[in-house]
Amino acid sequence: MASISARRLAKELREIEGEGCPVGINLIKADDFATWWFTIEVMGDSLYQGEVHTLQFRFDPQYPISSPAVQFLVTDGRTAPVHPHVYSNGHICASILGNEWSPVLSVVAVCVTLQSMLASCKKKERPVDNDRYVRNAPDNPKKVCRFSDY
Amino acid sequence: MGNSSSSSGRGHHDETVDYGFLAPQGVYTGPRDWNQAVVSQLIVARKLAPFYRPLEDYEDDWDDDQILAARKDLPDPENADTVTRIEATHANASRNGHNKRPGMQKEPSKPEAAIYRGSVECPICFLYYPPNINHSRCCDQAICTECFVQIKRNEPTTTHLVSEPAACPYCVQDNFGVVYTPPPWRAGIGSEGMHSVWSDSPKGSQQSIDTSVRPPTHKRRQKSFSADSPEVVTTDQIRPDWEAKLAAVRAAVTRRANRRIIMRQVGDRLIPVGVTSGRVHALSAEEAASAAESAEGGGSRRSRRRQQAQQGQGFEQFMGMAGQDLEELMLMEAMRLSLLDHEEQQRKEAEEKKKQETAAAAASAGKTDEQPSEAPPAPVPGPSMLEVRSVTESSPSNVASSSSSPAPVSFSPSLIPQSANGEVPGHKRKSWSLSRSRTPPPPANHASNTSPGDESSLSTWRRRTSSPPPFSTLNAALTSTSTAAAILRANADGGDAITPSTNEPHADNISAGSIPSITVGDTPNTPENIVIPSRPENGSVRPDSQADSASSLYPDRSGSALSSYGQLPSSPESGVDQEPLLSHEPVPSAESEHPKKVTTSNEEPRHISS
Repeated sequence: MASISARRLAKELREIEGEGCPVGINLIKADDFATWWFTIEVMGDSLYQGEVHTLQFRFDPQYPISSPAVQFLVTDGRTAPVHPHVYSNGHICASILGNEWSPVLSVVAVCVTLQSMLASCKKKERPVDNDRYVRNAPDNPKKVCRFSDY
Repeated sequence: MGNSSSSSGRGHHDETVDYGFLAPQGVYTGPRDWNQAVVSQLIVARKLAPFYRPLEDYEDDWDDDQILAARKDLPDPENADTVTRIEATHANASRNGHNKRPGMQKEPSKPEAAIYRGSVECPICFLYYPPNINHSRCCDQAICTECFVQIKRNEPTTTHLVSEPAACPYCVQDNFGVVYTPPPWRAGIGSEGMHSVWSDSPKGSQQSIDTSVRPPTHKRRQKSFSADSPEVVTTDQIRPDWEAKLAAVRAAVTRRANRRIIMRQVGDRLIPVGVTSGRVHALSAEEAASAAESAEGGGSRRSRRRQQAQQGQGFEQFMGMAGQDLEELMLMEAMRLSLLDHEEQQRKEAEEKKKQETAAAAASAGKTDEQPSEAPPAPVPGPSMLEVRSVTESSPSNVASSSSSPAPVSFSPSLIPQSANGEVPGHKRKSWSLSRSRTPPPPANHASNTSPGDESSLSTWRRRTSSPPPFSTLNAALTSTSTAAAILRANADGGDAITPSTNEPHADNISAGSIPSITVGDTPNTPENIVIPSRPENGSVRPDSQADSASSLYPDRSGSALSSYGQLPSSPESGVDQEPLLSHEPVPSAESEHPKKVTTSNEEPRHISS
């Protein structure tokens, strides 16, 4: 039988397909229950007007007890938004992706949270430690974000 | 009536509570790291909802068969088998006219289906459960038992030595806990003698069952329960070993931090000769205090006792713990081999040097100023024997007593981490004082460990040992409860190096010219007897002639009196008119004035107990 993560993601997917994504968010890839891609853009007035970025979710079998690994894709011409909490390699420093993750959150909830994180940005800049972080960052942002969120 | 059911299918029937189960139904596949006994007990006590087979979906207008068909498949054959048997039993058992028939027959009173009326979707696993579901104590949100048992504290790690209680997944309040309101009827375990709805109304309509069976629709609570109210089951309750786990990780870290590597300095090299176990501290008062502290509010005896009781099982779960001894042994073995190697080389060099020396002495009698040039800068790998304070061969028991006794001389200031121990990530200078106070050595033991040097010259103080046991690294490391240590006296400039008062911190200048000085408490100063004939080798590690290295390293200091290597610069005859190299008295003050001391500790124990 399917793992809890597949089971729950199947339901989330069904919901997305049935009800659609919130405005500005589109599911572009969900071939399996391991990796999903969304495009995300900030609607209305914001520093990111007109920008479309791609969010990648990676799930492990313990999802939703364990958080998904979420990052912006920076391959094939995609870019990560310039934001004080987004590293140039696409990693995102957001508490809900680390120690404040809750199994009650869903993929769509994370998308919406990140969308509003961008929308509320006042100044487009990289995190101060961007270069250092990017140099040493592992592939999976979950491996570092856990303790950097404090 | 209801009682009769127990005779028919007791064995299986006993495994269920209100048509739910005592064990998970396979929603999650990870390790079951909670205490299943506690969980079962709570379910039987109706303080936690039983593990129901969840429905993949649920609609209010479904009939029983649709409901039963929607029940999640059972994960593993074992459980499936059990359930099959249970169902078979039910089918065969005629219980007062309440006969459960297998098959697709529409039977409005099928309790297995009826319990799902009004099912609730768990917001975490998205599966449907009977309406008697747990609710968070704080914000009154539904959560199934499958998901509840998954929620736990973050495991403490050696880099993150705290363990906060799990927060509510819904409102993020600390100390997540749930409250369960059981249905007004009972079945399975604990139902004996209870009024059974099912037996009483075997022919009841669906509606009547619904009204009698369904717990009143969950009304939103006005108040939340505090984490310690009796109705609440917290995540810590079902993982009572969290304290032991935390304590174990802390102890491991403490022990590691407490471990000292015993080194000898040879020229600019440091040769590890042993490692202390650091184990002592795990039992110290400090540790006990921190453990008690972690028990918090419960700082009571009860929690401590609980902790002790769990320690047996808890400790073994930790790789760090189990692997510790092996790790230590491996390290020590590596050291021993390296030491053997070193000894061999040392012996050769010593012999060579002796010859040279004899020649030199003969040649330069009376021409003392020539001597420096003849003496190689560091002919003898003059190790500073960083003292190894071995406990009197026997005793762990010794530890306790020694720790409380005053420590006249002991200190373990300058142990150098990097060369020997990969697992010592860093060091804090402060820790030397801790280690000192914790494990002062019985002074008498000093002597026995500093085995006398042999060749050419020895200062007398070294010979004080009446019966030096062969130096065994392994032995020393194993028996020493903590260590000893030594001050690496390093003086790049050489000249004043020999000042015995150890309050000039030159430890950072360790170089080829450095001379290690040893402070030994019970060492009498015997400046006379400066020239010592070579002694028979005992094949053990020789701390080597301090004087040798001293004089050779500081050639300019070897005054006219230094006619041979046997001369201690600190002796009255030497040009150095200061106090002796090794002095008893100045130690304590010297120690406190040594800011540069290095130890191998990577963690100050005090940090751990926060």
